[in-house]
Amino acid sequence: MDFGSRILFEIPIFGGMPFTETIVITWIIGAVLVGLSIIFVRNFENVPKGVQNVIELIVEAINDLVAQTMGKDKMGFAPYIGTLFIFLTVANIVGLIGVRPPTADLNMTFALAALTFVMTHYFGAKRKGLGGYLKSFAEPIPVMLPMNIVGELANPVSLSFRLFGNIIGGVVIMTLAYQGLSAVSGMIGLEAFPIFQAGIPIFLHAYFDIFAGVLQSFIFVMLTMVFIGMAMD
Amino acid sequence: MESSNFIIDFLEWLMSFERDALILAGSAIGAGFAMIAGIGPGIGQGLAAGKGAEAVSYNQKNAKKSTLVMLLGSAVAETSGILALVVALILLFMNPLVGVEGTGLVLGASAIGAGLSMIAGIGAGIGQGYAASKGTEAVGKRPKLQPAIVRTMFLGQAVAQTTGIYALIVALVLMFINPFV
Repeated sequence: MDFGSRILFEIPIFGGMPFTETIVITWIIGAVLVGLSIIFVRNFENVPKGVQNVIELIVEAINDLVAQTMGKDKMGFAPYIGTLFIFLTVANIVGLIGVRPPTADLNMTFALAALTFVMTHYFGAKRKGLGGYLKSFAEPIPVMLPMNIVGELANPVSLSFRLFGNIIGGVVIMTLAYQGLSAVSGMIGLEAFPIFQAGIPIFLHAYFDIFAGVLQSFIFVMLTMVFIGMAMD
Repeated sequence: MESSNFIIDFLEWLMSFERDALILAGSAIGAGFAMIAGIGPGIGQGLAAGKGAEAVSYNQKNAKKSTLVMLLGSAVAETSGILALVVALILLFMNPLVGVEGTGLVLGASAIGAGLSMIAGIGAGIGQGYAASKGTEAVGKRPKLQPAIVRTMFLGQAVAQTTGIYALIVALVLMFINPFV
């Protein structure tokens, strides 16, 4: 049984570049989010009505979160944090429509964690100056230097594996649950009518897709903000 | 003399099996051992839940903040269990050792070792859960300081995770970049 991301097609450059489910679904999510953004931003009015209310609610919530977690002087990060949060939430929840979540691929989560890693050290070095930033690894005692370095390297590993592990755990359990339910339907001779698969998996979806998906994306975003904020302070 | 003959007899009996049988047997044992790591997050999240209930009891107005901090801390404490589950699932469904060229006994033992290594997650789970419990209690007492408390809690939990990550690295090395073949 293979739970990996299937290769959908290959482009014959550089000796055949494979394009997996992850990449194609990410394209679709990106296109949908960009399309919705363009549609909703078309007629902004001073007194918001309808959908604009919801959009303003979301933007205000994200701005407040960034201001609280990172401090008011770092509001420049709010667009990236907002994008990351919305993309991760949508990516984790697509399991609800029967599509394999792109975050169930370690390549995707590691890419996002690598982004956080690069941002942490780049902005930390930019704010404190390269020498000052490197010196801060030898605090509070110089003998802590190797442990601080390993700690910093462990951050993207644990960020990526936490998100990957939670989502792939959900994928595996949902696959096994659906196969088990179809086996039960088969046993009572109702193979063509997937009755058991109609209502029972709702609770599994509610926990693994919605609850775990939203919570894990929130944790990823909070940890990103905390790491960047602490590197810059 | 008899006892050492017994060990040699046992090893020779093991090596009389098919190569794949040894690897799969080791994987099965390893997958089971890996899930022992569930002890840690269980205890840790229980600590956090207890403190969360206590925090809500003496500050009901800010119950949402306390509950949010408890959930965040518990979700981070869950990481060790998730990493152990990933290793167990890899051993069960995407076994990387079956196709590798090498002695069956060594690869089977590597699979058992990979599973045993994840037991280190118990410490990280309990520790992070303890941090979550103290964070929840603090937010219950002083809800206005929630951002600062949550930042420190996350930082402490990230440091506490490191030995769990070391264990994961050893398990991954044993499974994917096995140095003994």
